[in-house]
Amino acid sequence: MTVLSLKAVRKNFGETKIVRGVNLDIEQGERHAIIGPNGAGKSTLFHLISGLYNVTAGTIEFKGQEIQNKPPFEISRLGLARSFQVTNIFARMNVFENIRCALLWPNGYNYSFWHLMGKQSELNEKAIQVLEQIGLEDKMHYPAGELAYAQQRALELGIAIASNAEIIMLDEPVAGMSRSEAQNTVELIRRVTAGKTLIMVEHDMNIVFDVADKISVLVYGEIIASDMPENIRADSKVQEAYLGEVTINA
Amino acid sequence: MAFIRKSSIWIVYLVVLLALPQFFDSVLAISIFNQIAIAIVFALSYNMLLGQGGMLSFGHAVYFGLGGFLAVHALNMIEFETIYFSIIYIPLVGAFSGLLAALFIGSFSTHKAGTVFAMISLGIGELIAASSLIFDSFFGGEAGVSGDRTFGPSFFGIEFFQDVEIYYLAAAWVFIATLFMYLFTQTPAGRMANAVRDNPERAQFIGYSARKIRYISFCASGFFAGIAGGLFALNYEFITEENLNAVTSGRVLLMAYIGGLGYFIGPIIGAVILTLMNSLLSNYSELWMLYLGIMFVLTVLFLPRGFAGFIMMHQIAWVRGKLSSLVMPYLITSIPSSLFLMACVAMIEMSHTEEEVFHYLWMELNPSGLATWLITLFIACSSFYAVRLLLPQLKDAWERANTIPEKESFGK
Amino acid sequence: MLEVFIFATLNGLVTGLLLFMLASGLTLIFSMMGVLNFAHASFYMLGAYFAYSISLYLGFWAGLIFAPLIVGVLGALVERYGLRRVHQSGHVAELVFTFGMAFLIEEAVQFFWGPDTKNYQSPDLLDFPLFTLFGQEFPAYRGFMIGISISIFIGLYYLLTRSRVGIIIQAAITHPHTVANLGHNVPFIFMGVFGVGTALAGIAGVIAGPILTTFPGMAVVLGSIVFVIVVIGGLGSLVGAFIASLLIGLLQSYAIASDVGVQDLLNVLGLEFDRNHPLTDLWTLTLPQVAPILPFLLLVLVLIFRPTGLMGKREQ
Repeated sequence: MTVLSLKAVRKNFGETKIVRGVNLDIEQGERHAIIGPNGAGKSTLFHLISGLYNVTAGTIEFKGQEIQNKPPFEISRLGLARSFQVTNIFARMNVFENIRCALLWPNGYNYSFWHLMGKQSELNEKAIQVLEQIGLEDKMHYPAGELAYAQQRALELGIAIASNAEIIMLDEPVAGMSRSEAQNTVELIRRVTAGKTLIMVEHDMNIVFDVADKISVLVYGEIIASDMPENIRADSKVQEAYLGEVTINA
Repeated sequence: MAFIRKSSIWIVYLVVLLALPQFFDSVLAISIFNQIAIAIVFALSYNMLLGQGGMLSFGHAVYFGLGGFLAVHALNMIEFETIYFSIIYIPLVGAFSGLLAALFIGSFSTHKAGTVFAMISLGIGELIAASSLIFDSFFGGEAGVSGDRTFGPSFFGIEFFQDVEIYYLAAAWVFIATLFMYLFTQTPAGRMANAVRDNPERAQFIGYSARKIRYISFCASGFFAGIAGGLFALNYEFITEENLNAVTSGRVLLMAYIGGLGYFIGPIIGAVILTLMNSLLSNYSELWMLYLGIMFVLTVLFLPRGFAGFIMMHQIAWVRGKLSSLVMPYLITSIPSSLFLMACVAMIEMSHTEEEVFHYLWMELNPSGLATWLITLFIACSSFYAVRLLLPQLKDAWERANTIPEKESFGK
Repeated sequence: MLEVFIFATLNGLVTGLLLFMLASGLTLIFSMMGVLNFAHASFYMLGAYFAYSISLYLGFWAGLIFAPLIVGVLGALVERYGLRRVHQSGHVAELVFTFGMAFLIEEAVQFFWGPDTKNYQSPDLLDFPLFTLFGQEFPAYRGFMIGISISIFIGLYYLLTRSRVGIIIQAAITHPHTVANLGHNVPFIFMGVFGVGTALAGIAGVIAGPILTTFPGMAVVLGSIVFVIVVIGGLGSLVGAFIASLLIGLLQSYAIASDVGVQDLLNVLGLEFDRNHPLTDLWTLTLPQVAPILPFLLLVLVLIFRPTGLMGKREQ
């Protein structure tokens, strides 16, 4: 079943065309990686899907409902969560609160100013569970802004997965990490996104071919190929347009 | 048992509030306590905006003032028996006036935080302050509006003729307001206000409209500012345009900032310090506003998290039981620092005084004598130099006391 | 009627251009550093006071030259030792710091010069009517004010668009890191811009002091209006600030000069209200009465309907 479907999506910034007619279908449970050279429009595409940017033209459907140009919070409530390439956490709150805040809306607290958070034991247990999953339970009282980089990336991921959303979009989850940190993070991603739909932008080809079961190649705002990893590797168009500059040795 | 432990700080707070007039019962003391009570509620409500919600407002007096004006009008209506209820509920009149104003103004001013919000709040503040001088029949022009709190049904025989009776009423309201403002920080809306303050963009991706969260904080803040305004009306029995203009807005910003943003207790500390300065220091020096200005700028520069933040800087040392190692360094540094401070104050005051002999502490100084000036200047310079010498040691001691060894965890 | 209109226009022009002198510095500082300098009008006040003190010994013209220089140096020091320090704590802290400076400067002015109004006079040289229209004189000093303001606008415009320094400044506004990587000392540029901006405010103070009276409240009187202008014009837009300054200056001037009120409107509509009506203040409202609130009304409306201001591009 197709959960997310982009049809002829375009995005211009002034005269500059960043996304130039993207068509993309993502199946339920798929682990879909979007790759492409720098400036291809990968992050922009993420911003369009998650509602940070409005589209210039085209439609984005999530479970049959058009979501393009909706504000991010409405899209998030439908069950689409995302992380950011540049760490985007609540820096002055502690780690536990970061996660707990991400749990509020999905657990139906909405804009409540009559529930006391301390008394919501189920909510607090869920927050601890998420912290255990991302391995930050011993840092739960630290201000998020004071964590080490890799820990902040784990928290970034934690905020995205806490909502238990159907689709999880990760924007370069291992950017700036050492090899071993990246390997740990990949394990973590595998674990926490089990059974969900994953869309991922990543530059590290080892990780892409390791995690993804489908890959789309975005070049100059257009998808030039979308296929199984092994077919992508063999695709001459891809080789020519993109992979020429990076040799893959997965 | 857990309940008692959790609420112990609240019990202490309540006991302090109730016991204060037992220890200081002069007319001056009671009047200062009343001012502090009003200031605490007002400053806490301001902190809901700036400290908790990240909205810098230059027009918070609007909600305080409107609450106060409506409260005075309600007092007058009680007096003329248009309405009939005990004046102990007057702060609620203020609260709902503040809430209504905030509901309206917040509906368009909370789109953005940051500079845009600050500018709108400034514009609205100036707009309403200027309008209040035009609409005489409601705001009473420059003279303001006055009322009388002794009408209406008495409250268990209390008629509120005396200030101390008002103090107990105010103390009760302060306690309730403080408690509810604290509880608000513990709710999903209150916690999300922190999240939106830290990162409005990310808050949108966990399902929340940053604007709606700001709007809720804004309205709650207007509500509690209105309670403060109502208390003001009860205490002074009059209110003027000055209570909703930029001066009052500025003062509450100073209170919250000097006390410490982001800490719940900060604005309470700030309210106490500023009110005391206002009522005590102004007796000794007409330059107290200058000192306040200097203190504020220094706070922004060197203690960005205010007095509460300064206290909280010692939390780790406290938890680790290393606080005692800081006593001596602090004591040693404080001697030249206070010398420096006193010398500076002496010079400022001497240059301002018009008297022949200037009484300073226990001394009699000659403000026109060159020797006096040179000596004071010398003390100021040498003590400043001594502070500069001692500061690195203090810093070292502080860092030793606050560094967590690798294995020790920072549990709460 | 025509004479009222012409003189209202001229006075509006004088006020508007004066406001622009303040607004231009504020805009420059904002576009450079992202800081709305709350203390800007305080530097304007300092300009007037320094010029007053200098004029006592050396005359008005010496004040016109030296006072802005002193103010500019003070401004640069505030940037160097104050603003730069709070910069790391974010924009809110910066705004609060400049607010504190405004508070402190007002108190300091009272400390050094006392709380009373200073008798700061315009120079005798310009004490003649520039022209007489409908029997009313237009003082030469006001003409001089217009001249100074316009030459500053032109000078600033040329400096920013044509000169090397201007190009570096413009580049530093949008790409501070790139400019730093090119070997320019960006913190120094910031300090310079802050100094020049406050010096501009100082000039405004020097020439406005004699007309708008030199007293400790003069910063407060203009301070918030200058803010309004910068926001209405669009944060960071020099042209927008120019338009908004003239708009506000003229608007206030016309409103004060006009003699109409709600009463007249009601008369036209053939309505009448009792004097004892509870809303009587509303029915007797006149335009001169609301003149002081017009800028703020405009500000709120602009911020609601066009948050970027008239000419602004950048969203906060």
